[in-house]
Amino acid sequence: MILSPEVLTIEILDTIFLIFGSVAFVLAVKISLKWDINSTSHTQYNLENQSFLSATIIKYIFAIKLPLFLFFVFTLDKISNLLTGAMCAAGVVNATEYGTYLLILKLLNLYLFGLWLTIHYLDMKNPNLPYTKIKFEFFTIAYWFLIVEIVLEFISFYNINVDKMVSCCGTLYSSSASSVIGNVLRIDTPLLLSVFYGIFLLLVLFYRFRVKYLFAIFNIAFIIISLIALISFFGTYIYELPTHHCPFCFMQKDYYFIGYFIYTFLFIGTFYGIRSGVMQILKEPNYQSYNISLIFDTLFVLLVSSYPLVYFIRNGVWL
Amino acid sequence: MITLKDITKIYELNKNNTIIAIKNINLYIKEGELIVLKGVSGSGKSTILSLIASLTKPTTGEVIVDKQRVSKLPDNFASNYRQTTIGFIFQKYNLIPTLSVEDNILLPLVPTNPDEDEARAKLDRVLTQFNITHKQHSIVRNLSGGEQQRVAISRALINNPKVIIADEPTANLDEKLSKDFIDILQSLKQSGKTIVVATHDPIFFDLDIVDKIIEIRAGKIV
Repeated sequence: MILSPEVLTIEILDTIFLIFGSVAFVLAVKISLKWDINSTSHTQYNLENQSFLSATIIKYIFAIKLPLFLFFVFTLDKISNLLTGAMCAAGVVNATEYGTYLLILKLLNLYLFGLWLTIHYLDMKNPNLPYTKIKFEFFTIAYWFLIVEIVLEFISFYNINVDKMVSCCGTLYSSSASSVIGNVLRIDTPLLLSVFYGIFLLLVLFYRFRVKYLFAIFNIAFIIISLIALISFFGTYIYELPTHHCPFCFMQKDYYFIGYFIYTFLFIGTFYGIRSGVMQILKEPNYQSYNISLIFDTLFVLLVSSYPLVYFIRNGVWL
Repeated sequence: MITLKDITKIYELNKNNTIIAIKNINLYIKEGELIVLKGVSGSGKSTILSLIASLTKPTTGEVIVDKQRVSKLPDNFASNYRQTTIGFIFQKYNLIPTLSVEDNILLPLVPTNPDEDEARAKLDRVLTQFNITHKQHSIVRNLSGGEQQRVAISRALINNPKVIIADEPTANLDEKLSKDFIDILQSLKQSGKTIVVATHDPIFFDLDIVDKIIEIRAGKIV
């Protein structure tokens, strides 16, 4: 088990989320079951007050979780020094069988909480609170994802054995690995890049012609293909090493923390893309989401594309 | 204009100590009416005013003002409603003593951030209406009680609200100033404002301008 100051900070915050999130959950269940905006009963007035309390708790959890995600990645990177064999966060993530699931769940929860905030924002814009029931029903589901994330986080840190050797990212993210990653890395590069730029082009077209639902759906596809392309192709140009595919190392100082920018652009762009779909379902105007999404998706594509281009201009060859 | 439907308001001081401020009140006030809520201290008059102004929410029942269900408004909308629809005149004026008359009057405009000409026009209108132009730059704490009240009324009316609520407005005034205040009420009524006054001052009970006197006793309309 690892109990560094960073891990302790994360676990204390997890405990706070668990307590306050559970309070918000109990209130959310009550609101989901009994909400009737037209009622003038004592129960309804109480629910209206409780809905503000619950929403405030959820907002604060999200407000802390957002920077905490970056802190979590930073922590993984930092504690990799304590594990024999680990060169970066990848070694820590794979030190237990739960690490990868935890990372995916953390990302998913950020998207879920972000979408919850979108619905909350729309709800608070209207004096009749039209989405209160929906947003708390949504939270009653999102809460369980939060709980699983917290439990996985405790289990992951608890099961990390500092005396046990772990694999480094070079082994984990290699085309010879017999894992999903190995299969991903064996994808034909021209095909991968065609799909990556193809989806981005489609996003631009869907934006231009306001094909709203497809814009949101293709943003989901864009996250997946971007992560694959990053690991399989673009990462190698950031490292300037054809065999190094780690999705974590480029967040280190040696690479000017460029990974934080790459992931921030990707996650903001795709989040707003998905958000635009949710707003479309709720029949709310959402031009701002479209614009932000396309700007950040474009920044991501430009940033990752610049690495192979600069490499080619400098060296006259591809890796 | 103003409807209170089956309103009950219970203040919960703690689990075993609750105060029933008003119980099952039904009230309808037409646009342009001047209503006096009469009753001793603690009878529930101020609670009714607070409910109309959406300063508090009922325990049960519904308050509708100018077709808005104000008892259901979330806080951000309630603030906006108070700013645009309600002018509140307090017993103790609630002015900021260290600011000038014009700064006090202009305070309700701050959140709306109007341009200077618009704010100046509104200020000049109320200063002239309530005859305090000559005191425009005076510091409020240096004014007499009657002048302070006219500043408070000007502040309440700077946004040209439809409803004016006055809580014990003559409690700190002598007889002459109370009569001056009633003259002001008369002019406001003539300009079409709906006015609700909570008071136990007998000066209000025989006035021609009052459309209805409603007696509140122990939280109920008598």
